[in-house]
Amino acid sequence: MIDISSTPIIIIILLGSVGLAIPIIDAYKKEKGKNKNKLFSAITFGTLMLALLIVISRVIGGELLPAMSFGKDVLADDMFGSFFAVSLLIVSIMVSASSWNYMKGISNSASYYSLILLSTIGMILIAYSTDFVMLFIAWELMSIPTYALAAFSKKDPISNEAAIKYFMFGAFSSSILVLAIGFVYAVTGTTNIGDSITILAELSAPNQTADHNLGGVIPISYLAIGLFIAGFGFKMGLVPFHMWLPDAYEGAPTTIGALLAAGTKKAGFAAAIRVIVLGMFAIGLDWSIVLAILAVITMTVGNFGALIQKSVPRMMAYSSVAQAGYMMIGLALAPYASSALDGSLFHILNHAVMKSASFLAIAAVAIALASYSLEKYTGLGRKMPITAIALSISLLALAGVPPLNGFWSKLVLFQSAIDSGTVISWGPYLAIAGLLNSALSLGYYLWIIKKMYLDESGDMSRVKEPKAIICVLVFAIIFMVGFGIWHAPLLEFASISVPSHIDQIAPSFGNITNN
Amino acid sequence: MTELINFVTVSLILVGIGIYGLVVKRNAIRMIFAIEIIANAANLNLIAFSRYLGDIQGQIFALFAIAIAAAEVAVGLAIIIIAYRLYKDIDVAAYKFLRG
Repeated sequence: MIDISSTPIIIIILLGSVGLAIPIIDAYKKEKGKNKNKLFSAITFGTLMLALLIVISRVIGGELLPAMSFGKDVLADDMFGSFFAVSLLIVSIMVSASSWNYMKGISNSASYYSLILLSTIGMILIAYSTDFVMLFIAWELMSIPTYALAAFSKKDPISNEAAIKYFMFGAFSSSILVLAIGFVYAVTGTTNIGDSITILAELSAPNQTADHNLGGVIPISYLAIGLFIAGFGFKMGLVPFHMWLPDAYEGAPTTIGALLAAGTKKAGFAAAIRVIVLGMFAIGLDWSIVLAILAVITMTVGNFGALIQKSVPRMMAYSSVAQAGYMMIGLALAPYASSALDGSLFHILNHAVMKSASFLAIAAVAIALASYSLEKYTGLGRKMPITAIALSISLLALAGVPPLNGFWSKLVLFQSAIDSGTVISWGPYLAIAGLLNSALSLGYYLWIIKKMYLDESGDMSRVKEPKAIICVLVFAIIFMVGFGIWHAPLLEFASISVPSHIDQIAPSFGNITNN
Repeated sequence: MTELINFVTVSLILVGIGIYGLVVKRNAIRMIFAIEIIANAANLNLIAFSRYLGDIQGQIFALFAIAIAAAEVAVGLAIIIIAYRLYKDIDVAAYKFLRG
């Protein structure tokens, strides 16, 4: 049995009870008839803040298990899960605080905040889970509320279309996941992730081939890994599986776009690091080239797609496809360079803040000017100065311009790619592809900034900026600039959240990595 | 062993039918049915393996998967009902506000 006082259980109890209480409060206070959006926004914000404080105090207290522990339980209270819990709670806090303004006029505010809280539990549990059953349930707990949230503007055909596309691909990907888990279960006879990895490593170790009849087993586990890449890839936005993503991020309400781009995508990466990276390297290291090719294709397609967009949220959606490509560099190089996974996690935390800041700035513009089109951003530097500066800083951070946090995480990723050149010949090419893509991405990021500051439009009078979103954006600016100047604590947090060497997860890895 | 292979073959055929339906059909309800066929093929797979290995875990997982798939389809049908109210049609080819 898992300890009742462990971090994931506390998060479930805290967020779950508040998430279920909000609709009940709504039902009891119905007769007053006024909009309770502000009340629920404040409750959600307070609950998520409390959860974040609990996780951070646990991390500082040092009572957690070391990075990526695999126990017999379904949940492990380890550093890896806590790292993702911190990044995902920051995203949820930013989204729920911004909804104070963005969701002002909606009718069902209680279910909106309740669904955000439930989806947050799912995202966090994915990072903590050490059993396929738990992983799948957490995956669905994350996905199902976001389908409803994407369709939240019931009168808006665009929101509905986005939700249908998101639902079809999301439901398909979860069916693919069940299939993949079934094949792993067939090979290993267990649903525990740690045990399955150890058994897979033993089965594929070369000296044991004589003992087992492995004719049918290894192809099945290859098939399972391929299905896992597809299943997680839909949520992560890897390129062959990304076609729903720009539509869903653009069409969903923009605050929910932030939750999808910064939250569910990160949870997909948490699952992928737990399952694919470790599982596939247990079977054979040849797999890493597949991830490397996916990384390069993902960042290239994402950046070229973003170049031709006219709608800013759609541009940001393609940019988040490209950013997924940078994070994949770390996953592909995990067995060859010790700092590769550190770089990935560091970039995941940075991207969570940068991407939600840019989406929420877009939401602020949408409230004030009622438009998502790039043409309306002309002269925004004078009309909405704080929003414009926050959007500019988050775009520059996404591009990786030096004094900002995005630069340091890209530096760690590309450095690890260059370091891996001594072990694997194609490693440095990933750094070259990443650098070229960063230069390409500046093309559209600077285009938006030029529109906002250099172009003149007729009416340059100041527009009222929504206050709650401004507070969130100021926090994001402090985060991006502050951790850009002093990045050491975040990098250290990332590096203690992943195993420093892949041998530490399963002893049998030693044989494979040495061969 | 042959029994297991029969079950897995049936399940893989069902996955194929499901993917065909998802790719070719343009009716939203039919697409949900196609997704359900894939999900149930995966469950059949799990149960067959569970029976073959003599281990109960796979059947428990199949039960969880069935319950969750029901919740998922409920949300999906709700979204399609809203779509029907907006468009008076559930042909997904008619939904084309988002392009590019």
